[in-house]
Amino acid sequence: MGEIRVVLQSLKMSIHTRMQYRVDSLVATLAVFIRESANIIAIYLALLKFDRINDWNVNEMLFLYSILFLTYAFVVSLFADLRQFSDTIREGRFDRLLVRPRSLLLQLILNNADLIASAGHGTLGLLLFVISAGRVGIHWDFVTVLYYIGAIIGGILIQGGMFIVFSSLCFYFVETGSIRDIFYWNMRKFAGYPISIYHKLIQGILIYVVPFAFVNYFPAQYLLRKEDMANYPAIYIYIAPFVGIIVYAAAYLFWRVSVRRYYSTGN
Amino acid sequence: MRAYVEFAVKKFQDKMAYRLDFFMGIVNTAITIVVYLCIYKALYGGATEVDGISYRMVATSFVITLGLSNAFHFNEMFLEHKIHDGSITNEFLKPVSFLFRMLAENIGEGVFKLVFHFLPALLFTLLHTKLCPPKSAPGLIAMFISVAFGYLILWLISFIIQTWSFWLFSVWGIMTIKNVFVNILAGTLLPLWFMPTALRKIISFTPFESIYFTPVRIYLGELNGSQILSGIAVQVLWIVTLGIIANLFWKRGIKKLVVQGG
Repeated sequence: MGEIRVVLQSLKMSIHTRMQYRVDSLVATLAVFIRESANIIAIYLALLKFDRINDWNVNEMLFLYSILFLTYAFVVSLFADLRQFSDTIREGRFDRLLVRPRSLLLQLILNNADLIASAGHGTLGLLLFVISAGRVGIHWDFVTVLYYIGAIIGGILIQGGMFIVFSSLCFYFVETGSIRDIFYWNMRKFAGYPISIYHKLIQGILIYVVPFAFVNYFPAQYLLRKEDMANYPAIYIYIAPFVGIIVYAAAYLFWRVSVRRYYSTGN
Repeated sequence: MRAYVEFAVKKFQDKMAYRLDFFMGIVNTAITIVVYLCIYKALYGGATEVDGISYRMVATSFVITLGLSNAFHFNEMFLEHKIHDGSITNEFLKPVSFLFRMLAENIGEGVFKLVFHFLPALLFTLLHTKLCPPKSAPGLIAMFISVAFGYLILWLISFIIQTWSFWLFSVWGIMTIKNVFVNILAGTLLPLWFMPTALRKIISFTPFESIYFTPVRIYLGELNGSQILSGIAVQVLWIVTLGIIANLFWKRGIKKLVVQGG
């Protein structure tokens, strides 16, 4: 019970901090929303002209994209301190956690919440979901709803796991920003399209290295059953919700090993 | 003039110092090119031409636009930081124009990215994808001129918004929204050929078309002779218009400037 009280307390603190600057928060949320919409608008305009991409129509594309936004809305608040972990270390915020009687990772997860980004990504994700979910021919029943929720949680764990791995790298290398840019941010952008259109190497990276394919492509395939799924083992769409648990557990172990190498940058 | 060239060179050398960033920049650009070429190929779905535009033209246009947009990317929060920490006052004491120094540094950074991020990535692309060669030598020269003008247009738009930090606490939000407009309306995400007709018409009345699309069309030979001249004339018109607006905001802003503490 004590843990839950800590969680609620820290969330309340995050909201309080943001509400000190109401207008600024609103403008920033709007800016995040519009910035993230850019790719969506581009896809929409492209499909006005080309109609389909590898047989995926515009609604199916929006549905595929909506999963990325919905999962990221949770990830960005839960793992806010791990997003730019080298900054967290450099500013000495990590040192502060070392002296407290709770697990380090738990503290990092609870500590900060980027609610602005969450609101921006979340609104966009919900909007895309509402627009597309009814038009892509999914028969929503108990099993599909359960699968969908499982896939969202799995997607959050996969991306959280990746954040933890990239953060752990900070204990080995001084500057990891550019590696993270390529392997997280770029790959996330690519995951907005059906991965079957890509070069084999990039498909491999998206499935096995930074497994974004299990965040949105395979879950979407479970619900949509497009033909390009024939390129991949059918089992992938069933294990998608569970991949998150494995990725997260592996990331956690890597973190435990890496954090021992830490000695403070200060003094 | 020599001082400003020196600023540009210094910024260039500054960037050289970060080797890993430099290497990753190349990898990043190369991956982006490969991925987007896959996307366009999938959109074409085997068709050789869409609306008279071949896949190879789209690929060429994408690669040029990406290279330019990489080079045209600079720190847009520069002025805001200078105002917030008050260091802008020091700038006015120096015997060089702050404005031109900013421009020179941004150009230096742009040239760095063009030479070290884009050129290697371009060579890598040419290994596996055929792009359109330049249509003619004069066309190529005209394209370089039009690239420089395109840069100035984008820089002035950004500068105008930067000057608003004299009045606003933060211009980050507005800058972000501006970048969305540029990304869509200047054709960074989708070449302007494929825009709906009505939207295309509207874009032709904005400065956005002049940033990347005019140089691309000159390179591909879509514009020739007098069309090149009128394309460049439109660019000049936008530079003058935006320059006047920028100057207005800048002059007003300096008068408004209050730096606290001391």
